[in-house]
Parts: sequence; structure tokens; C-alpha cells
Amino acid sequence: MTRARQEHTALPLLQVRHLCKFFGRQMGCHDISFSVAPGEVIGVVGESGSGKSTLLNCIAGRIKPSNGSVLFNASMGVIDLCRCDEALMRRIIRTQTGYVTQNPARGLKMHISAGGNIGEKLMAAGMRHYGEIRKTALMWLEKVEIDPGRIDDLPVTFSGGMQQRLQIAANLVNAPKIMLMDEPTSGLDVSVQARLIDVLRKLVSGLNLSMILVTHDLAVARLLCHRLYVMKQGEIVESGLSDQILDDPRQPYTQLLVSSVLKP
Amino acid sequence: MALRWILKLENIEKDFVFHLQQGTRIVVFSGFSHLFFPGQATILSGPSGTGKSTLLRMIYGTYKTGGGHIHVRHRGRPVDIAAAEPAMIYALRRDTIGYVSQFLRVIPRVSALDTVIEPLLALGMDPARARKKGRSLLERLNIPSTMWHLSATTFSGGEQQRINLARGFIAPYPILLLDEPTASLDVKNRQIVIDLIKEALAENTCVIGVFHDPADHSAIAGHIIDLAQIPLQEVQQPCPEKN
Repeated sequence: MTRARQEHTALPLLQVRHLCKFFGRQMGCHDISFSVAPGEVIGVVGESGSGKSTLLNCIAGRIKPSNGSVLFNASMGVIDLCRCDEALMRRIIRTQTGYVTQNPARGLKMHISAGGNIGEKLMAAGMRHYGEIRKTALMWLEKVEIDPGRIDDLPVTFSGGMQQRLQIAANLVNAPKIMLMDEPTSGLDVSVQARLIDVLRKLVSGLNLSMILVTHDLAVARLLCHRLYVMKQGEIVESGLSDQILDDPRQPYTQLLVSSVLKP
Repeated sequence: MALRWILKLENIEKDFVFHLQQGTRIVVFSGFSHLFFPGQATILSGPSGTGKSTLLRMIYGTYKTGGGHIHVRHRGRPVDIAAAEPAMIYALRRDTIGYVSQFLRVIPRVSALDTVIEPLLALGMDPARARKKGRSLLERLNIPSTMWHLSATTFSGGEQQRINLARGFIAPYPILLLDEPTASLDVKNRQIVIDLIKEALAENTCVIGVFHDPADHSAIAGHIIDLAQIPLQEVQQPCPEKN
């Protein structure tokens, strides 16, 4: 587990309260409540179909929850993203949160250059000076360990790991308060995963960024997350510090999950 | 004046229920109490399975405490680890309690030196100073300088253990938990670890450790808690499975 730099006594950045999502009669997630402190990395683990991504998408404003609230400590005060004006919700999501998907092709525009992918976000936030935009894009490519010489290349010419790091850079340029990540390491082979985890870890501690990481990879969860929530059939069955959950699981489902992992 | 405790275990309870194994329940502690003092070494002894590592992990917050209190003096005021919020546990692990586990878990790409100095950076130390301190500790633990920039995941068992030890000894934790710190070390390195422990004790650190080798017991000359003597740790009948 990485050590948290701050004592998380500050007001939570995000509070999810009694969040529910039904798809018709099918339950996506049910009565989910938790909070995220500034600088805290939260992992959501569980098998496929347990409602992890549904939960993340509700927080990201991509799915409208059936019930409950998502309180976000935005720069203008605490806002309930589920109840506020739609335009305000969109603006907060766009400027103060980042969202990284498992498939970089969905998070990036593959037909515009790497620099363009980053620059587009800067322009959306109001930056107009071309030189400044390019300079900022170059700086971010370097931060995520992409050769700045590749700035004018299309993301399709990048490897999977590079695309994923580019997606992270494009999400971080506008200095969000929280990153929402859906299985960011899953499509990558193991050696590339380690690099991505290392880059993420450095960024998180350097920027005091909060993160919600949805993953089924418990090793990644242990290395990156301060706390874990275990989901099963749409509900949280256990939560605690990452090492508590992985080394001293109490619930039958968590014990099954932890004991099912093959240790290399 | 009576010595002020730094760590106070009060009627602690711990059991493990193995839901996947017919709900077998193992009681490890049921009402164990003990006081620990600054500058004191405590050796946890007893055969495997008597709860030595469990006790260390409960103090570190890795294992949830079933009942009772684990009071620790953190920046001068008592905190109950058994009931502490995550934010408090992060703070305790940063400032007050160091833990050298039997396993090294690190991100594969991070250099051994960076792994070692991480606790100092978390305390806000200037990176150049931290690296200097890290290099001298690695030197002392006989990790060749040609390896400092490599990831510790590629190291041998004994080397990994020394990286883990360096991480534990680098910051001035008031409480240091050591889980078999000398288990895979040769004689020379073992003596270095014993010296480090003695220096920490002289600095008023409360050291609590699991050591199997009787030679370590006599070298450290600490207070011994024999966990085999603690009653009520039988394996009970399986309880009916709820799920």
C-alpha cells in the first residue's frame, strides 16, 4: 500500500449516499454509500457484473442513478450531482473530474494527434494560445513517459500502454480533483501494467489527486489503493483498508475472491 | 516516576472464521492484555500458529481487532487502533508505527533506494537528504551500490528482507514491529540487524518482534511473551454456515 501523505481529516471530496441504479427490473447497484477524502485512492473490487462499472458511471454522470445522491465538493461548494441543474453537473464533471476507460480507443480521439487529444481538453477549458497549448501538451507527454517527439503522431500508431498513458494525460491536463478509472490496467500485459501503476502512483501523490479505481486485479488494488470496497451483486459486502481486506477478509465472498487469486 | 506506556493492549480478542472451510473458527486471542514501554524490546515467542504475526498485524491495523482496545500514544495522545478511522491509521503508519513484514511488496519499476526512502518522503523530508540517509543504510546492510537503482523485486530473498528492514529502520518510528527480521539472513547481516535494533532501543524506540532463533533472543535480551502460554486459543467446533 502506498502511504497517504495527508491526514484525511478534511471535508470529503466526494460522498456517495444510498446510490441505486436499476436497469428495468435488473439491479445495477443498490444502496451504495461511501466517501472519498482529498488525496485518497479508493479501489472498488469484485467480479464481472457485480456493479462496479455501473457505480463508477453513476458518479461520472454517464448514467442517471435511480436513487441516492453524489455530493461533490466542487470549487463553488458542495453540489449534489444527481439533483443539480444538468448543465452545472456537466460543467463540474468536465472540469473537475477525469474518466479513464479500459479501452483507450473510447477515451481518445484516434484520428487526431496525441498533442491534439491533450490540446482539445485545454481548449475546452478556455486556453487559446497555440504555443501555450503545445507547450503544456509536451509537458504532459513527458509526465506520462511518452516521447515528446511523438506529439504529432496519431494514437493509432501507439502501443496499448502508450495509449492508456495518453488517455491519462488528456484527463489530467485540466487538473481535476478526482480521477475515475475503470479497469485502466486490464488490457495491458504485465510489464506495461507495472509502468502504468508507477506513473499513476507518482501522479496521485504529486498532485494530491483523489481516485476511484474499479479493478478486478487485487495486486493492482493493493499497490495503489488506500481503501477497498468489495462489491457483489450490486452491493458492498465489505470495506476497509486495502491490507485489511486482502490479508484479513471477513466476509465469505471476500474470502473467496482473495483465495481465488493465483500468486505468481 | 513510573514509565509511561507507549502501547497498551487491553483485553484484545481475535478470531478467524474460514467461511470456505466449513466455517471453521479459530480463536487466537480472547482477552489478552499487555503494556509496552519506550526503549523496551519485546520478543514474541511460541510455535507457529500461536498468533505472533497476528498480534503484530493487529497493532499495525492490518488485521481488524475482534474486541478490546489497542491504545497507542500517537504524537503524545492516546489513540485506539481497534476503533481508529482510516485517516488515523494512515497517520499512525506514517508517524508512529513502523512494520517490517516477512514479504516485500513493491511496484516492480521503483528502484530499491526509492523503496527504502519512501517513509522519509512521506514524513516530508527533503529528497536529497532522504537519499543520503537511504544510501548509508543500504551500505550498512551490505546491499551493493550497483543494485540501488534496480527494482527490489528482482533481488534474492535475503536482499529483499534487508530492503524491507531498511524501510523499517530509516524513519524514527516510536514503535517498530519486526516479523522474523533475521529469518533469511546470513550471520554477518544478522549481527547488523541486531545492532540496528539495539541502536533503535537506545533511541527509545519500542521494539516488538518475532524471532525464532534462540541466539537472537539472547542477543536482544528483551522481555519475552510466550504466546504458547496464553490460554483459550483452541480451535472450536465449526459454527453453522449462514450463507
